[in-house]
Amino acid sequence: MIDTIFLILSLFALAGAIGMITLSNTMHSALSFLVTVFAIAGLYALLNASFLFMVQIIIYAGAIIALLLFIVMFLNIKEDKLKEPNRYNIMLVVAIILAPVDYLLFQAFLKMPHIGDFSTTLDNFGDVKMLGNELFKGWLVPFEAISVLLLVALIGSIVLARKKERE
Amino acid sequence: MIEASFISYISLAILLFSIGIMGLISRKNIFIIYMSIELMLNAINIIFVTLSKYFGSMDGQIIAMMVMAIAASEAAIFLSLIVAMYRLKHSVNIDDFNTLKQKDTL
Amino acid sequence: MNSSLLAWIILIPFISSFVLGALYLYSISIKKINDTIFTFLAILAPITSFLIGVAFFLSLKNGATDYMYEPYTWLGVNGYIISMGFLGDKLSIFMVLFVTFIGSTIHVYAAGYMKGDEGYGKFFSYFNLFMASMLLLVLANSPIIMFIGWEGVGLCSYLLIGFYFTEPLNVVAGNKAFIVNRVGDLGFIIGLVIMFFYVGKLGFDYYALEDYISLVPTSILTIIGIALFVGAMGKSAQIPLYVWLPDAMAGPTPVSALIHAATMVTAGVYMVARFHFLYDLIPHVGEFMAYIGAFSALFAAIIAMRQTDIKKILAYSTISQLGYMFIAVGLGAYSTGLFHVFTHAFFKALLFMGAGAVIIAVGHEQNIFKMGGLRKKLPLVYSVMLIATLAISGIPPFSGFFSKDEILLKAYRHHEYLIYGIGLFTAALTAYYMFRLFFVTFHGKNYKQKEMHYLSWSMKAPLLVLAFGATVAGFVGLPEVFSQTNLIDEWLKAYSGGALHVEHTTEIMFMGISVVVGLAGIVVAYVKYFKYDFNKEIQESGIVYNKFYIDEVYHFIFVRGIQKLSRFISVDVDDGVIDKAVMSLCGGFINMGRRIGRMQCANTRVYAFFMLLGISSFSLYLILKLG
Repeated sequence: MIDTIFLILSLFALAGAIGMITLSNTMHSALSFLVTVFAIAGLYALLNASFLFMVQIIIYAGAIIALLLFIVMFLNIKEDKLKEPNRYNIMLVVAIILAPVDYLLFQAFLKMPHIGDFSTTLDNFGDVKMLGNELFKGWLVPFEAISVLLLVALIGSIVLARKKERE
Repeated sequence: MIEASFISYISLAILLFSIGIMGLISRKNIFIIYMSIELMLNAINIIFVTLSKYFGSMDGQIIAMMVMAIAASEAAIFLSLIVAMYRLKHSVNIDDFNTLKQKDTL
Repeated sequence: MNSSLLAWIILIPFISSFVLGALYLYSISIKKINDTIFTFLAILAPITSFLIGVAFFLSLKNGATDYMYEPYTWLGVNGYIISMGFLGDKLSIFMVLFVTFIGSTIHVYAAGYMKGDEGYGKFFSYFNLFMASMLLLVLANSPIIMFIGWEGVGLCSYLLIGFYFTEPLNVVAGNKAFIVNRVGDLGFIIGLVIMFFYVGKLGFDYYALEDYISLVPTSILTIIGIALFVGAMGKSAQIPLYVWLPDAMAGPTPVSALIHAATMVTAGVYMVARFHFLYDLIPHVGEFMAYIGAFSALFAAIIAMRQTDIKKILAYSTISQLGYMFIAVGLGAYSTGLFHVFTHAFFKALLFMGAGAVIIAVGHEQNIFKMGGLRKKLPLVYSVMLIATLAISGIPPFSGFFSKDEILLKAYRHHEYLIYGIGLFTAALTAYYMFRLFFVTFHGKNYKQKEMHYLSWSMKAPLLVLAFGATVAGFVGLPEVFSQTNLIDEWLKAYSGGALHVEHTTEIMFMGISVVVGLAGIVVAYVKYFKYDFNKEIQESGIVYNKFYIDEVYHFIFVRGIQKLSRFISVDVDDGVIDKAVMSLCGGFINMGRRIGRMQCANTRVYAFFMLLGISSFSLYLILKLG
């Protein structure tokens, strides 16, 4: 059962990703990326990360992609300006160059110390309570730093996107 | 045999990451480049969450959450940058932003 | 007596020079300082040095041993030790005495001569530096220290000859003096280096050299001797390096007096006398020196006969007189040569000061044919010039007679009859050209009346002092026939080269010949120029007037040659080879940089691609390495 779900989700993720980089219309590729985001959210659920599953849907699908689509529509880009005739050739070249990197990573993960059975875990592993405990006990300072970062990003984006007065 | 094992999650993440790099290098559209970067972040997140389950520790998930927070702030900055750049050059083609190009003035 | 006072003989003029220089800078840049202060400071220094010199003289006279003062080690490298040392022996104190004495009188004279000049303070600063360098040269206890003074003298002569540097000709003259001196200095330093190479380890002061010089093989000694003599040629203006001296007349007249009488040109003679232990071992080099001296004397005298510039005539007479000195030192009669240095200092300083007074009086005119009839206008200058001219012409009892006669006698006694003949002939020429100058300047008829400028007492007083000196200086070296003791030979016994006993009748005969020859020259000059008619336009020309075209020949051979070589190096070698090599290398780098710079295409995707390539190749390496 889990295997089947995993297979379907990963196929969706890969298909969405490939669609994103190949489609020439920005709108279409953004929607394709949305499929990938949802599939990855499903994978989080399979990995006992229920909180992350929600966060992924809310932040990525709900906030980032929506914002992106909004900007794309706002700028109203003409596709004919962005002719990319040789993008598949470049992709092929990059794929060939990436092969050793991927192989190395794959080998590295294969040779990781085996600790336990991956399929069997604690019942309550990954629920929100456990995550919250861990987050506010062991990771309080990074958490606060992240919140400050978000504030800075908020102000920064306003400053950047603001229209200059003299223009 | 493909199953929901540790290595299959990792393989998926590696594949997604590679697709992200391919998109980053091959496309000129700045939005797609942005989405490729996000895809790469997501691939890394999958690895973190997988390892979190693998080692039975919550740290991986927390880091994944941090990455998401950073991705969110990045989205805000990046998109406003795109708006500002578009205002400047009326283009979303990354090749148009070549002010730092070496000029043959010497 | 404290031997450290030796250093003060040098230091006082040096400090004075420094203070004067600083005050001069203050004076021209901030606030004008009264000339009286400069005068006072300037004249004080040589007089103080003179007084210290007198004290040393008296002490040595009472039988004190040589003074040696070594304040510190200047250089000490692996056993080769050069100490900053000063030697006060009979020779150096003798030199100090007359250098500072003549120097003092010239200082007093210069105070009048330079009055109101813009560079008054600067002039005296250089002047005292000149004195200090000369005294350092004289008092040094090793050839290395001597060389410092030797170079200092050359530098100061350059500064003073080009004193009015706004006039391009003066600058050229200064350069000429400096460059020609440099040629001589090269010879000098080559000699020093060879000497140092052979005996430097055993100590390099004069005492050590005197003890160990015989260890050097004779052939090497010959090279050293000639190399040192080349240095002397440059400083003392002998053939072929004499050309700078006539041009050195571009400087103010007191400078000429100082260069010709007290400092600089006597340095060569002093140096040879100082190295007498070396030249005693190589009499053939000495003979060569004597011949060079004789020919210089004759050559300069011939040129002087046709010159019209009062200072140039005196300059050539200096070369001529220096030739006599080299005859003496070349034949080993160092004390005789120094005796002539001594008497020459008096009458030549007097001649220059007189000439300077005349030049000032007639308003900076140097051509003798534009003067004339100055006897009544300048009676004092007339009489002192007469004394000086008689002295240089070798008429007894004036000083020049005794020293010149002794040189000729020595030459004869060494069986150098050619030198003797040249010397005698030159004596006649000397009398002729000096009286030509004298008669044309002070006598003659139909001369144009000129407005006379006032001569201050600070110019007249030194004339009187030196006139007295020029008259009596010869008596310190009376020949045997008049007196049992020759004071100069007595004082410089170590340098006399052995007494030569001559029959009294022979000696008197020789004196008679000298006097007759001198008088003959005077008579010829009298006939030709005493009633010189200034209405006649004379135009001097010919090979002699043009100084045998030596300057032109030198210019053609050396200056042009070096210019051509320089142009070749600058155009062909520098521009063609070195610059081209450097520039093409540079161009190669630029091109390479431009090519590499293309990678900086401002295309982020390309950057990412490069980054990926790097990661990929690194991964490939790891895969292959780890398997």
